[in-house]
Amino acid sequence: MMLDKVLYHSVTVFDLIVVAIILIIAIVITKALSLYLKRFLREKVTRGHLEILVKVASYSILIVALLIILPLLGVKLSGLLVAGGIAGLAIGFASQSVIGNLISGLFLMVERPIAIGNVVNIDGTVGIVEDIRIISTTLRTFDGPFMRVPNQKIFTANITNYAQNVARRFEYMIGIRYSDDADKAIEVIKKLIEDHPLILINPAPMVFVDSLGDNSVNIVASIWAPATEWFGVKMELLWKIKKALEKEGIEIPFPQRVVWFANELRGGELRDSK
Amino acid sequence: MFGQYDIPIRIEQEGITISVQKEEENFLYRRECLGESVEKILLAGPTKALLNPVEPVNKPKALASHLLIEFASILQVEPKGTRNIFLTFPVEIAVYISTNEEFEVIDTFTMSRQKFTLYGDPINGVICKYWKSSIYPAKPPLNHMEEGFIELAVTNTTASWVEVTKAVFNAYGMKIYYDDERVSMKANMKLKGGGSAETEFIEDPLVEGMTKSLEIYTARKLSVTKKKFIMEFGL
Repeated sequence: MMLDKVLYHSVTVFDLIVVAIILIIAIVITKALSLYLKRFLREKVTRGHLEILVKVASYSILIVALLIILPLLGVKLSGLLVAGGIAGLAIGFASQSVIGNLISGLFLMVERPIAIGNVVNIDGTVGIVEDIRIISTTLRTFDGPFMRVPNQKIFTANITNYAQNVARRFEYMIGIRYSDDADKAIEVIKKLIEDHPLILINPAPMVFVDSLGDNSVNIVASIWAPATEWFGVKMELLWKIKKALEKEGIEIPFPQRVVWFANELRGGELRDSK
Repeated sequence: MFGQYDIPIRIEQEGITISVQKEEENFLYRRECLGESVEKILLAGPTKALLNPVEPVNKPKALASHLLIEFASILQVEPKGTRNIFLTFPVEIAVYISTNEEFEVIDTFTMSRQKFTLYGDPINGVICKYWKSSIYPAKPPLNHMEEGFIELAVTNTTASWVEVTKAVFNAYGMKIYYDDERVSMKANMKLKGGGSAETEFIEDPLVEGMTKSLEIYTARKLSVTKKKFIMEFGL
């Protein structure tokens, strides 16, 4: 029969037809998977990252297809596997961190706990995300320098993303003297908050007497601002509050102690002796 | 004040001063309004200037692309009913200049109160420009330099009474019209089940003869796909 005709070693025409079918199936699966990934992840990952993901998935399918095809073409994988196994072990040890970073990078792209331009705190390092690559992420810290952080470290680190939400809250604690009118102070602070255009109406700001401290009556002002503006507002408002309170005769007190003497002062004794 | 002018110009009205004057080889643009002054040197020979109301989401910073109007009173809408109401909105004015029939915005300003708010929660919500308005049954008398009005057709598509306290609009879809006395928009609000609603603007003047504004998003040639807004975080 034509199909049983041996071409070389033990490879027949039938084997070649199977190889061709496997290749066609692999190519079809690759195309379908890349289309599906592009459609499914289009809005979840950036275009550059999506290309990387699609390539990784496509090459993985092609490698699996190749491993199925090679024995059909008369290539014995056992010899390759032994040699490849030893080489793989060596390469594996050498590239352990690279692979770890690569896989972490892929997960970061899909999970997206951070995005380019976000202000983040990664294990105590605060900065703006400049780029997220497949192996590492670069941050620009607020004092200027760039910092390259391996993706594996980011993936396992505690991340605080200050820009993930559209709004952010900040607080001030303002101490006033016990002799001052706390209601008046709250009114002054509320007026400033109301007049500031970037402080959000909702969630509503809160201003209240939080505690009666050792040296002062402590008023807390809890304020929401758009995430992109909160730091500027926070920097600007506190001094305005201080000036507005002072204008109303309300002062922020220094630490103080009232000292009581068990006996009268020496001045009293001197006065008596006269 | 709104309309097209030949350069050089000088306009003084209601505390606003705008001028585009030739100064040596260039033109100098100056604007003063409520203590804020802007001065720009125009390295071109502009021939026309256009002043008109634009989407009220640009001042003091272009942080939001939505406008939230809180109603001063609660609105109860009958089941399957449609009613027209009038709301006010803040007016922002843009100054455009043109050298070859294409207008480019060079400045925006406003005389209205500036405030922002959050619609929804901090994770999924949207930052909106905030405005509080009374509900009027007919066109309210307004200073058109400060406030415009929206004719809002509220349709309750549900079989029960619905309580509405606010309306959120996508600024990208705003269609603003003006004449010498008023600035207006027309919009629809469809109340749906589950405390949600859909809002959108209608490209139609309130009164025949009103001029269509050149909106900022049109002038900047931004391709806008989403013009409607789904209010899914409550009414």
